[in-house]
Amino acid sequence: MSIQFLFLLSRQGKVRLSKWYETISQKEKGKITRELSTLILSRRAKMCNVLEYKDMKIVYRRYASLFFIIGIESGDNELLALEIIHRFVEQMDKLYGNVCELDIIFGFDKAYHILDELLIDGFVQESSKKEVLRRVAQQDELENMDEFDHILA
Amino acid sequence: MKGLTQFIVDLRNSKDLQEENKRINLEINNIQTKFSSNLNGYQKKKYVCKLIYIYLLGYIDAIDFGLKETFELLNSSAYSEKQLGYVALSVLVNNDKAKQTTKDYLNSSLSLVHQNLIKDLQSNNEDFNCLALQFIGSNFNISESSTVRVEESDEDSAKWLELIDIVYSFVTSPIQKPLTKKKASLALYSLLKLYPQVLLSNSNWIPRLLTLVDDKDYGVAISCIPLLHYIVRLKPQFVKSIIPAISLRLYSIVIENKCPEEYYYYKSPVPWLVVKLLQLIEHFFLLTDANDFSVLSIATLDEQTLNNFRSVVAKSIQNASHPVKGLPNRNSQSSILFQAVSLAVFLDASADAINGAINALMMLLDSNETNTRYLALDALIKLTARSNTNCLTMTDRFDVNLPKIFHLLHDKDISVRRKSLDLLYTICNPSSYNTIISKLLDYFPFSDFTLKSELGIKIAILAERFATDFTWYVTTMLKLLSIGGGSNSNGISYISNEVWERIVQIVVNNESLQKMTCKLVINLLKKPFSASTHASTQPPPTGVSENLIKVAAFVLGEFGEQVSSTEGFHISLQFRLLYDAYFKVSLTTRAMLLTTFLKFLVKFPDEDFVPDIVDLYEIEALSIDLEIQTRSHEYLGLVTSQSNFKLANSVVKPLPAFVQKESHLVNRIGSVSQIVGVNRSKSLLVLAKNINSTSKGESTTRSNTLDDDDEEDDSNPFGDEKKAPTTLSPNWYSGYHRMLHYDAGIFYEDQLIKITYRVLKEAFNIVLKFTIINNSAKTTGTDISGFTVLDLESLTGNQDPNYVLNIKQLPDPTIHDKSTMEIGIKVRNVIENHESPILSLSFMCGGSFNSLNLKFPVLLLKTLSSTVLTGIDEFNKRWQQIGDLLGVKEGECSVKVSITHRYNSSNISRLLTRLGFAVVHSTTDDDVNEILVFGAGILHTQKTNYGVLTTIRSVDQIGKEFEIKVRCSGGGVADVICSTLKEIFEGKF
Repeated sequence: MSIQFLFLLSRQGKVRLSKWYETISQKEKGKITRELSTLILSRRAKMCNVLEYKDMKIVYRRYASLFFIIGIESGDNELLALEIIHRFVEQMDKLYGNVCELDIIFGFDKAYHILDELLIDGFVQESSKKEVLRRVAQQDELENMDEFDHILA
Repeated sequence: MKGLTQFIVDLRNSKDLQEENKRINLEINNIQTKFSSNLNGYQKKKYVCKLIYIYLLGYIDAIDFGLKETFELLNSSAYSEKQLGYVALSVLVNNDKAKQTTKDYLNSSLSLVHQNLIKDLQSNNEDFNCLALQFIGSNFNISESSTVRVEESDEDSAKWLELIDIVYSFVTSPIQKPLTKKKASLALYSLLKLYPQVLLSNSNWIPRLLTLVDDKDYGVAISCIPLLHYIVRLKPQFVKSIIPAISLRLYSIVIENKCPEEYYYYKSPVPWLVVKLLQLIEHFFLLTDANDFSVLSIATLDEQTLNNFRSVVAKSIQNASHPVKGLPNRNSQSSILFQAVSLAVFLDASADAINGAINALMMLLDSNETNTRYLALDALIKLTARSNTNCLTMTDRFDVNLPKIFHLLHDKDISVRRKSLDLLYTICNPSSYNTIISKLLDYFPFSDFTLKSELGIKIAILAERFATDFTWYVTTMLKLLSIGGGSNSNGISYISNEVWERIVQIVVNNESLQKMTCKLVINLLKKPFSASTHASTQPPPTGVSENLIKVAAFVLGEFGEQVSSTEGFHISLQFRLLYDAYFKVSLTTRAMLLTTFLKFLVKFPDEDFVPDIVDLYEIEALSIDLEIQTRSHEYLGLVTSQSNFKLANSVVKPLPAFVQKESHLVNRIGSVSQIVGVNRSKSLLVLAKNINSTSKGESTTRSNTLDDDDEEDDSNPFGDEKKAPTTLSPNWYSGYHRMLHYDAGIFYEDQLIKITYRVLKEAFNIVLKFTIINNSAKTTGTDISGFTVLDLESLTGNQDPNYVLNIKQLPDPTIHDKSTMEIGIKVRNVIENHESPILSLSFMCGGSFNSLNLKFPVLLLKTLSSTVLTGIDEFNKRWQQIGDLLGVKEGECSVKVSITHRYNSSNISRLLTRLGFAVVHSTTDDDVNEILVFGAGILHTQKTNYGVLTTIRSVDQIGKEFEIKVRCSGGGVADVICSTLKEIFEGKF
C-alpha cells in the first residue's frame, strides 16, 4: 500500500527532485528514471494520468513545466496518489509563495522538508495542510534561532 | 547559504560536462582543505551541503570523505546542524559503493549511528526524537517482499531490540504528542519488518498497538495503518478484534461526518484515512492463514459491524453520484467510490447493491476525464471478476452496457483501450461470448500493434472456454488466424505460436472435429476471410496468414485423406493449395510443409503430384537453410530407398493425443489473471481422449490432496506456532463458579470495571448477556475507551466442534456508563468439562492499558431443562431402564463430595432446581439421619437429547459429605455431568 518513489521531472527531462522509498541500486534507479522520462514526456496532454509500468502503477501530473511522478503498488488507489501530488504542490505553493521550477532547484531543502512531513517510508503520515506547514515553519524557526545564536557567539 | 547558492548557479551555468567537472573538482579540493582546518557549525553545514549536492548530481565516486564532519554535525546540540547531519548520513552512507548484502549494509549502518539514535531518542527534546524516528523510518526500511530478517542469533540483534523497545514505548505512551507518535508508528513498522520475531514473541504488544486505530488524532490514525496491516498479516487471529474499531471509525467519518475542519480535503472528510481503512478491510478479507482458509468472512462479523460497513459503502457510492465542482473534489470522491466498490463484493452485498455500484461506474465511463474512465473500467473489472455476477451482461442491461464498453475500445488513450479489453475478457460469459468474441474479431484489424498479440490470446482463451459448439470454435479460431496474419517490423507474428498450437491440440484430441476442420481450412485457403468483411474501412493490408498455413500444413497432413473423397476437397487440390503457398511463407513454415508433403506422398503414392514433391525435395536439399536442407535430404532418402515406403510409413504414424490439461495461453493474459484468480470455470472443450486416460491419475492425486487437507485440519489452524494456553486473569474463578450455579449475577469486578451476566436458555441455544459497567466513572469520572473483544477462544476442537460461539452484539468501544455484549452459544454435542471458552478483553482507562482473560462455563449441564416425572416409582423405573440399557459402567457415575459448610435437604433441592432439574423426591429437613434428593432432567444438544437422573445422598450425619450418583441415557455422559456437579458443590476445579 505504499509509494515506492517520487520524482520531479522538467519538460527537458531533467530530474529536479527525487525520493526513493525502496532500497534499490543507483543503476536501477537510473534505469527507471530514464524509462519513465521517455514514456511520460511523450504522452499527450489529454491522456490518462495512470500508467502501468512493470508490476507497479505510475501516477503523474504536470504542473506548468514540471512533471510530478509517483510510483505506487498496483493494488493502490490511483486517484488518491494523484491528490497526494496535488497536496504536495499546494503546500509548496504556500511555502514558497507561487512556486516555480527555480524555487525547487534553489530551495530543494524546503521541498524535501515538506515531503518528509507529508510522507514517511512511502506512507502518508499527515494529510492536514496546516499541520505540515506548521511543522515546516516551526523547524525553519529553530534553524533561524540557531543561526542567531551563532552570530551572537 | 550564499556559497552554496553560488556553487549551484556556477554549475547551472557551465556550458559543457568538462566545465562542470572542473568546477566540481575545484570545489572538492576546496572542501577537503577546509575540513582539515577548524570550522564553526555554520561552515561545516555549508560544506556538507555542497557535498550532498555534488553527490546528488551523480558524482558518487568523487566523495569518500566527510563522514567525520557529518558525525560532528549529528552530535551538535543545534537543531539545524543535527538535522543536516541526519540528512547527510542518509545520503552519503549507502549501499552502492560497498558491494555488501542488504543485511550487512543495514547492520553496518546501524552500528554507525546506533549510539546517536539512542541518545536522540532518549533526549527530552521532542524535535530530536522526531529526527531520530524519521531517520529510522526512512533508512532502515526494506520492501515487504524482501527476505532480509534480523534473527535473535545475530550479533547485532540486541541493538535492534533496544531500538524497537524505545520506539514501541513512543508509540504506546499516553503522554507523547501526536506528532511523535505518527513518526514512531511508521518507524516501528520499518523495524518490525526487519525483525518480526520481536512481535511474535511479545504478543502482549499487539492489543496495545491495535488501539492506535482509535486514536483521536487523525494523523496518528492514518500513519498507524501500515503497522496494523503488518501486524494482522503476521498474526491473523487478531483480525477479529480490530475490525469493530475500524467499522466505527469509518462510520463516524462517512456517516456522521465527524471530522475536524483541518482534515477536510476540499469537501471530503479525510479521504486518506477513509480510503486506507477501506483498503485495510479489503486486505483482511483476502488474508488467508497457513491452510489457505480465509481468516475473515462475513459470517464471523457481528451484525452491527457488518451494517456499519454496508452503510459506509452505500453512502460512499451514493456520494459519488452527486456531481461536484472542482477536480480535487471529484478525484477524492471517486477515489473513495472505487475503494468502496472494491470492498462491496466482500460484504455479500445484495444484487441490488452491486447493480447500484455498477450503474454508478457505468455512468463514469462517459466522463470527459481520461482518468475517470480508466479507473472506472478498472473498478468494473475487479467487481465483476470477484463477485462472479453477471450483472453487466444480464439481458436487460446487455444492450446498454456492452456497446459502451465496445465504444471504449476506440478510446483515444491506449491505457483505456487496454483496460476495456480486459473488462470484456472478464465479463464474458456463456450468454454473451458470441457477441463479445465476434466484436473483438472485428476490432482486431484496427487495434494497436502492441495490443494485437494480447487481443489474439484473449480471443483464443475465451473461445476455448465458452465454446459449446465445435464448428463454432474451429471457425472462430481459424478466422482469428486468418485475419491476424500480419507481423510487426521484427517479423514476429501478432498471434503467438501458442494459439495455433492449441487449435492443433484440440483437433488432434477430438476425432469428430478433424473432418470438418480440414474442410474449413481448405475453404479458407481458397478464399481468405480478411478484408472482405470490412469493405467500408480498409484495414491495414495483411500478408499471407502464416499461422493459417501452419495449421493447414499440420491438419491436412494428418487428416487430409479423410475428406479427399468429397467433391472439391480432393487431395491433389489440397496439395496444390499448400504448394502454391510454399514460396510465400517463412522458413519454419516451409519446413513444416515439407513434412506435410511427405505424409501426402506416403499416403497417396499414386497421385500425380508425387513427381512435384520429389522435385521439390531435390531442389531444397541444396537449400542454404540447415533445417530445410536436412529435412529435404532425409525425406528424399526415405521415399526413394524403398518402393513400399516401409520405413517412411513408420515415420509418419498418426499423432497420439496430447496430454495437457490447461492451456499455456492462460499464462500470458497478463494483469487480469491476478484479479480473476483460478476460480473461473475451466474449458468446456475438454481434450476428450486425454481426460479418459488421465482421469484415473487425477482422481488419485485429488484424493491425496484431500487427505493432506484433513491432516492439517487436525493441527492448529494458525499453523506454525503452537498456541500457548492463555493465562487467565486473577480472580476469574469466582465469576466462573457463580455462573455455574446461577443464571444471573456478577461475572467479574475490579476498581475499573464490573461485568454482570444473564443466561437465557432455549433448548440447545444459550444466550449470554454481559453488561459492562464502568466502575471508574463513579470514582474518578473517566470513560473507558478502546474496549475491544480481542478473542473468544473456544477450547473445543475445530473439526466438528462440540459447541459454536458467535458474538451477537459487541459492546461500544467507549463506555461512559455501561454497555452490553451478547454471545450466542449453540451446543452441538456432548461438551467435555475442560472445553469452556476464554473471553479476552482489553480496554484503556485514564491512560492505563488493561486486559482481561476470563473463562466462562459452557457446559453440557447448562442446557438442562426439567422433566416432570409422576413420582418416585417412575424415577426408579427409568433408573433401572438406563442401567439395563447401558450397564452401570457406561450409564452411571458416582462421586463423593465433601463441602465446607452444611447442607440440608431443601438447600440441595433448591440447588438442583436452579440448575434445571426437576426434584422428584426429597427428604424433609427434619430428617437429620439421612438426606436424599432425586432429580430428573433433559439435556439438549443439537444432535440429540439425553435423559439424566441424579440422586444425592448424605453419607455423614452433619450434611457435609454426600454421594452423587448420575445415570444418563447417553453413554459416558454421566461422567461429564457428575464432575460438573462435583465442581458446583465443592467450588474447586
